[in-house]
Amino acid sequence: MSLNNIKRRKFLKIMGWSGAGATLAGCDMPTTMTVQEGKEEVVSYLSPEEYVIPGVGVWYASTCQQCAAGCGVHGRVREGRVLKLEGNPSAAVNAGKLCQMGQSALQTHYNPDRITAPQIRSNGALSSASWDEAYDLLKKKIGADSGLKGNRAAWVTGNVSGHQSVLIDAHMEALGSSKHYTHEVINDSVWQAVSKDMLGVANPRVRIDKAQAILSLGADFLGTWGSPVQNAVEYGSFRDSPRGALIQAEPTMSLTGSNADLWLPVKPGTEGVLALGIANVLMSNHGVKNIPSQFKSLVKQYTLEETSRITGLTGEHILFTAKTLKERSPSLVLAGASAQGHENGYEIVAAAMMLNIVLGNLGKTVEGGTQLPFSQMMASEGNTRDLLALADDLGASKYDVLFFYGTNPVYSAPEALKIKDGLKNVGFKVAFSMFNDETTAEADLVLPLASSLEDWGTHVAAKQGARSEVSIQQPLMEKIYPETMGFGDIMLSLLKMQKVDAYAGFNDYYSYLRNAVNNMPGFMAKNGGEAWKEAMQAGSLEVKGRSLNVSSKAISIKMSVPADDAQYPLTLIPSARLGLWDGRHANLPWLQEAPDQMTKVVWDSWVEIHPRTAAKMGVKEGDLINVASEQGTIKAKAYIYKGVNQDSIAIPIGQGHKGYGRYADGVGVNPLQILNPAVDKKTGELAMFATRVKISKAGSAKDKLVRMGGSETQVGRKLAATISADVFERTEGDA
Amino acid sequence: MSLSNLLGDWSKYRKTHEEGGFHDYEHMWGMVIDLNKCIGCNACSVACYAENNLPVVGKEKFEKGQAMHWLRIERYWDEPDLGESRVSEYQHHGASYVPMMCQQCNAATCEPVCPVAATYHTPDGLNAQVYNRCIGSRYCSNNCPYRLRYFNFYSYYEDAWPAPLHMQLNPDLSVRDKGVMEKCTFCVQRIRTVKDKAKMDDRPVMDGEIQTACMQTCPTTAIKFGDMLNLHSPEKAQPTDVSQLWRKHQVELGKHTQNKQNKDLRGYRIHEGLNTDPCVMFLERVREV
Repeated sequence: MSLNNIKRRKFLKIMGWSGAGATLAGCDMPTTMTVQEGKEEVVSYLSPEEYVIPGVGVWYASTCQQCAAGCGVHGRVREGRVLKLEGNPSAAVNAGKLCQMGQSALQTHYNPDRITAPQIRSNGALSSASWDEAYDLLKKKIGADSGLKGNRAAWVTGNVSGHQSVLIDAHMEALGSSKHYTHEVINDSVWQAVSKDMLGVANPRVRIDKAQAILSLGADFLGTWGSPVQNAVEYGSFRDSPRGALIQAEPTMSLTGSNADLWLPVKPGTEGVLALGIANVLMSNHGVKNIPSQFKSLVKQYTLEETSRITGLTGEHILFTAKTLKERSPSLVLAGASAQGHENGYEIVAAAMMLNIVLGNLGKTVEGGTQLPFSQMMASEGNTRDLLALADDLGASKYDVLFFYGTNPVYSAPEALKIKDGLKNVGFKVAFSMFNDETTAEADLVLPLASSLEDWGTHVAAKQGARSEVSIQQPLMEKIYPETMGFGDIMLSLLKMQKVDAYAGFNDYYSYLRNAVNNMPGFMAKNGGEAWKEAMQAGSLEVKGRSLNVSSKAISIKMSVPADDAQYPLTLIPSARLGLWDGRHANLPWLQEAPDQMTKVVWDSWVEIHPRTAAKMGVKEGDLINVASEQGTIKAKAYIYKGVNQDSIAIPIGQGHKGYGRYADGVGVNPLQILNPAVDKKTGELAMFATRVKISKAGSAKDKLVRMGGSETQVGRKLAATISADVFERTEGDA
Repeated sequence: MSLSNLLGDWSKYRKTHEEGGFHDYEHMWGMVIDLNKCIGCNACSVACYAENNLPVVGKEKFEKGQAMHWLRIERYWDEPDLGESRVSEYQHHGASYVPMMCQQCNAATCEPVCPVAATYHTPDGLNAQVYNRCIGSRYCSNNCPYRLRYFNFYSYYEDAWPAPLHMQLNPDLSVRDKGVMEKCTFCVQRIRTVKDKAKMDDRPVMDGEIQTACMQTCPTTAIKFGDMLNLHSPEKAQPTDVSQLWRKHQVELGKHTQNKQNKDLRGYRIHEGLNTDPCVMFLERVREV
């Protein structure tokens, strides 16, 4: 190996492009870099240019950071302020569309409760400090002379990818730390584990647009599963003629469920049995013969009658589902939150995936997707097993230093995990945060972040669209608060503190990124090596990846269903919503006032109760209910409707914050608190949908359950008229 | 008007389209909302808050019906309650969502009742609200069969946008003060911008050039917006997307009942029988069973 080669490899790693491998070896790469190259002065893009006319908005491309989907956005900037966000039409992920959370990024950015300066804990309380003091403290605690042992430090983040991920890795390497916990409450990690085992790829590209029939076991793909906007764009085509049929089975109605042709209130934890039962019907009624041998005996066991008895669904509905999936090819079977969140979640999802194999969907609606060449840049995807591991490691006093970024485990962990107590065992906790949230409140040093609309970044969405891209995030305006700082900028300072020479030449994250983008392998030929401008304009860099193929590999599973529990007769469903998400958006007034899609409630939490359950207890809408698990009790108002299974109650997550700003505090309750810390045995994920509870009346509430609209029905008026799919095909077929 | 005159003209009054407003329209902005595609996700509604400086009113005022959502997603159930044995135990067919914004009626019931002509019809076929002229009688709101007019009971500029939230306010339109009625304008500021640009370029406004905020963000492309007037100017011989859809679904302006040759076509207008002549056509929701 030549010296040049080593230099080049090292250079690629610094720039985040390593892992490119042989596929890109031929491209023209610089082997050295002068310090001067890194020291580019940032010319503010806001300094008047010829095309900036007062009163006329100019659009800049960037990437949405409200969830991990990585939608491309265009921000309208006028007189130095960003006023409106739209989807970027050339973005492969979202094709010019945006959801309500993306729209609300403006309120995250302009939020009146942002942290405006560093905070240092002294005498037990956090108080404002200067950056010099913050860096002095950091130097003392983690600097090269601090005596910190690398294995006593760790990072705790939400989903993170791109060059932010590269810098976190470089920082960990410099510290000698090897632990990076990635925690997200809303995730599809069990689906990924099953996909990896049964299809050979962790993130298959599901083609909602190509499917003619979809069976979704609790995958709220229009709201919280995968890449919601991308899915919704595809759903638009799915509903064109020939119109696909959507069947959703879940214990409480999700946004996707509310749009289903047939919604099935499956008993929680029996989704796997449903999948096996459908396979049974396919085998016995439709002559399907290719049931994988490992599944055969299980499939035979769950006859129609048995499946109906266990799942609580009618035989008619199960037969209809099987028939629809069989007759409308290609179909697509998905499994999401409420199906995976059980102690046998892996097996439930595996049973669903088996249907994709049996129905011949592989390569049609379940594609392999693309392997991007830059392994360093790939997303660390959040999950809950890292949360459980963190809880254990905190309990064992494994750490002296923790860094938090983009996650709020003190809020989102069940109280049984005692995260907050565990944090007391950590001597020095650093929170990178825009807001004082429950976790930031426990920190010893708070570093105030610039908002996503003020900061630079690159992102690699885990769920790529039709083309593979590295998405570019650029500031849409100057920082509102001069004492806040971009994440990458802070990371470069930390790396310099660790005396990592490789990064010493970069004055700021901007110059680092610009260098990285201009030196991206495969881009050198374009624009005379100036990929940067193109990337800024497009908001992304197209990347040629390796197409992956899915190949079926059956695995052996067992199937079981949750046992009845006389003491705790109901299952608690902590449902998630496109909106407040995992609670991170509870401080955005637009989203608090946007009525919940199904219940139309605003500014509150509620307990969804089936009218039969409510009648038994004599509960009316708005009555206060005690919801008690083995872990504790919370109180919320009752919302009575037929969109929840009779053996379950549901409380949406996202509310119940303490210390998260004026719009979030004092609103509703957090059902995550009272979850049992049970886990899916195979993947170690938290079994979030398996907690048993009992409910009782808690008297009348202080305030009302406020919701939009007075009438639940159309009272005979033609407001939202409905016709049958047959008529639709007859009149609009070939449309 | 005497009673005898009223009764004598009753049939005319009830059955024909109200004459009035502009007849020499420059444009006739209209919409098509496809309920087969609408998923009720709220993106349009929040986009509207962002574009049009809508204040967040908080829980107490929301309870009193003072929310300012120019575009709201109504949600209906087929059978909300349990009933006799035939009624299903669950919502097996999901919800029915209807995005509702001002229907920009051509025979708007809100217009004639305004004592100060603060609401009137523009040559664009829009039902406009002149904030400066509005005295807050609320007659228009009372007369709107769609309940799509929103009244400023408070001076929201005082506390609905605590700094620096106010920096997000769109300078292309005002923040309305206490005592003023407001409603969806079909993003008239965006229409204005594009019309001005077209005029400067000396060309007609192109179809698709104007996107309302709701349409632009809608993930499933359920909302379409465009000009329905393509008769008067020869350069518009190519009918717009929206006008084609109206024609395809055999829904015509200026009627209170549609004489559809194919009754199964999905297009319909809400409360059309009230003779309001709305410019928003909905396409029926579709369900498998």
